[in-house]
Amino acid sequence: MPTGGVFSGSVNLKYVKLGYQYLVNHFLTLLLVPVMAATALELARLGPGELLSLWRSLELDLVHILCSAFLVVFVGTVYVMSRPRPVYLVDYACYKPPASCRVPFATFMEHTRLISDDDKRVRFQTRILERSGLGEDTCLPPANHYIPPNPSMEASRAEAQVVIFSAIDDLVRRTGLKPKDIDILVVNCSLFSPTPSLSAMIINKYKLRSNIRSFNLSGMGCSAGLISIDLARDMLQVHPNSNALVVSTEIITPNFYQGSRRDMLLPNCLFRMGAAAILLSNRRREARRAKYRLVHVVRTHKGADDRAYRCVYQEEDDQGFSGISLSKELMAIAGDALKSNITTIGPLVLPMSEQLLFFFRLVGRKLINKTWKPYIPDFKLAFEHFCIHAGGRAVIDELQKNLQLSPRHVEASRMTLHRFGNTSSSSLWYELAYIEAKGRMRRGDRVWQIGFGSGFKCNSAVWKCLRSIKTPTNGPWDDCIHRYPVDVPEVVKL
Amino acid sequence: MELLALLTVLLLAHAVAYLAWQAVSRRRRACCYLLDYACHKPSDDRKVTTEMAGDVIERNKRLGLPEYRFLLKVIVNSGIGENTYCPRNVLQGREESPTHDDALEEMDDFFTDAVAGVLAKTGVRARDVDLVVLNVGSFSPAPSLVSRLVHRFGMREDVMAYNLSGMGCSAGLIAVDLARNVMLTRPRTTMALVVTSESCTPNWYVGTDKSMMLGNCLFRCGGAAALLTNDPAFRGRAKMELRCLVRANIGAHDDAHAAAVHREDADGRLGVSLSKALPKAAVRAFTENLQRLAPRILPARELARFVSRLLLRKLLLGPRNNSKAEGGGSSPKIDFKTGVDHFCLHPGGTAVIEAVRKSLGLTAHDVEPARMTLHRWGNTSASSLWYVLSYMEAKRRLKRGDRVLMVTFGSGFKCNSCYWEVTRDLADAGAWEDCIDEYPPETLVNPYMDKFGWLNDLQGQGSGFIF
Repeated sequence: MPTGGVFSGSVNLKYVKLGYQYLVNHFLTLLLVPVMAATALELARLGPGELLSLWRSLELDLVHILCSAFLVVFVGTVYVMSRPRPVYLVDYACYKPPASCRVPFATFMEHTRLISDDDKRVRFQTRILERSGLGEDTCLPPANHYIPPNPSMEASRAEAQVVIFSAIDDLVRRTGLKPKDIDILVVNCSLFSPTPSLSAMIINKYKLRSNIRSFNLSGMGCSAGLISIDLARDMLQVHPNSNALVVSTEIITPNFYQGSRRDMLLPNCLFRMGAAAILLSNRRREARRAKYRLVHVVRTHKGADDRAYRCVYQEEDDQGFSGISLSKELMAIAGDALKSNITTIGPLVLPMSEQLLFFFRLVGRKLINKTWKPYIPDFKLAFEHFCIHAGGRAVIDELQKNLQLSPRHVEASRMTLHRFGNTSSSSLWYELAYIEAKGRMRRGDRVWQIGFGSGFKCNSAVWKCLRSIKTPTNGPWDDCIHRYPVDVPEVVKL
Repeated sequence: MELLALLTVLLLAHAVAYLAWQAVSRRRRACCYLLDYACHKPSDDRKVTTEMAGDVIERNKRLGLPEYRFLLKVIVNSGIGENTYCPRNVLQGREESPTHDDALEEMDDFFTDAVAGVLAKTGVRARDVDLVVLNVGSFSPAPSLVSRLVHRFGMREDVMAYNLSGMGCSAGLIAVDLARNVMLTRPRTTMALVVTSESCTPNWYVGTDKSMMLGNCLFRCGGAAALLTNDPAFRGRAKMELRCLVRANIGAHDDAHAAAVHREDADGRLGVSLSKALPKAAVRAFTENLQRLAPRILPARELARFVSRLLLRKLLLGPRNNSKAEGGGSSPKIDFKTGVDHFCLHPGGTAVIEAVRKSLGLTAHDVEPARMTLHRWGNTSASSLWYVLSYMEAKRRLKRGDRVLMVTFGSGFKCNSCYWEVTRDLADAGAWEDCIDEYPPETLVNPYMDKFGWLNDLQGQGSGFIF
């Protein structure tokens, strides 16, 4: 407990800091006030007669005035038209699995015991589940409920159809979107890539147009949702007056690991069913009902580094079972990738006060004193809401520490992990739905979505809320939001 | 007050100049040049002859004599020669149990050969690549193959990487489309690496379903890497300039969507099933694509001629249904040769090439590159059109100002086409270097026709497939 002196000192420091932030961020406004005051005084001093003679001395006739006005208007129009088109998020829908797919801890442990005789494996998976941060309501696809699971391609396609079509149907209901109006389709699903692709499957089901521009991204991990958004944004910049449908999902059925290598058993315990369908548009009339506007997307790829590349790696174990191994260095690498991403996104979103502090501290470290700690910018000044990929409890803990966030900021991520598990690329959308369902999303709020994935990649997207979202939201959280937030214990005793 | 006027004029002039410069630089960046490309030539120990293919088929004890005959008949009539390449695990007898590492090894061989090759040829460093688009149809590990590429060549942290998968044989042009669109949005010039291949290792079908066995006979190993850029500084060194790209996807029709499906057969074995409706779907997608392509690439004269003949025919025949026309002769054909000098057709199989040749009214000379590619390399899926282009280049057919049309088909069902203009005389033989002088060969007939020729005498052995 700090002494009174230190405490009051830190309080004073806090006010100094606040004052400094206010001064720097509103610098121009503050400068303008004395200038306006001086001008007003000068005008008052001159009097109307002198002002009139000043005006006449300019010798402006009608032609001059018209030409100037025309030029100003013309240049203004060209400037406005040449700016990049805004990309609006009209609405999005998340798949809500039925209760019949629920996998409470007891079910999961019973399945594990029935599938394998390996006692060590059962105990290891129990320990993971206890510390995972998952709740009792997460869901696995029907094929995984078989004993042993049935990872056939047919079952995988069935899961894909259920999750993707449900999400798109929900999105169509919410937005009144006509399938014929979809110009761009981007689908990402990391570990299931059939022929014909999932994008072709969607085109077939909804009878989309034959000149649709579709892309099927695969293998790009849990951060692929933001890669799809980036691609859709680029396509929307090139094609005016268009709608883009982005579908993010992960198909769990074909990826059940049947072996006993510990580093490969983690995905079995963490990954759950989920899907999200997002409608993006650059049509001006959508601006009225759109929920968000996309401000930035920043992508960082650490694949050139060996350790980062190998940290989430699909391979076969000694018995020939295919699984995804997660290395022990995952947290450190995630932190590293985040730092790289922050250095790019920081200057784009942080207010000037934070940037200056960071810059001065950097200069100080280099020139004055090397032992100064690097300044960690306060991202809470730049964003109201944070959606951190619900990769696992450890990822959320690590990011909370690195970004110095409060428990409230990471609540959406923790609760999504608890209710839905790690749904891979679609988890960011469940988290956003949580914030909306809690009625916390106000107009003007800025949201930062951070995704991590194999590769190793760290991708960020920044959205700005265009209208306050009213509850109830008809989303995946509606029937259970009143129970949240729950306290997720460190270890759940099974 | 003159100072004020002067200041205003200066500011306005500056603003106008700035906007004009923006517009000009946007126009300049809107071009898309093919700097160079390299086709993968697998090592000779992976060559597979008809006899070797016969041995592999024989190894599969599940196949009975009818299936054996069917397969050999397809191979003998396929137009595929004796020098195509197969994955190592098939040649080593492990086609029933491909491992993850086998598939990765196949990809690594390809990266080391073609990707390193194209970077070396152009002198572009891996760190200069801003955008990588990789397409491999039926193999999608974690981390993605594009991440594997980024890792292997040590690309930058801010490289934009995209990994397409599952999009079939026409995905090579989808990758080009993606690259081109992303290039248009970047404020600075972009160097894009487009890498296309197919993974044959995990996809050798070991069951007994006839519709799935065709893949074994047709698909062979290959790949290509191409460097695209929108930097006008490279115009002098570029080989071709992209003029237009048209994509048509008729997946909305159920039979077209089910034409090529990767699924399990009745015994639970995975394979790509090619349905009997595939040729029809291909024709439909092709028509859809050409309808949108023709107005963009053909000269106005040809379009006017075609439209006038169509109208005339409609008038002459009256309000009767056109499809019942007898006396008026065949329906007027649009002549693509007025706008296109070279046709780069997807060598999906002899029947596909023949069907496209007939519908476009092309000569044997026009389809020779596609036929020869099929003979020398087999159907390498999405990368095959780069081999066809390479053949034309090796034969010194591509001269400055020539216009090239690439047409591909793929599962979905898609037909994609791409129209290029050659920017300088091309003479690089590439992957064809060691054998271009032997092409076209005296005869394309399979040398084992004598040995297995009796197959063709068998009637009604159930081949409704025209591949």
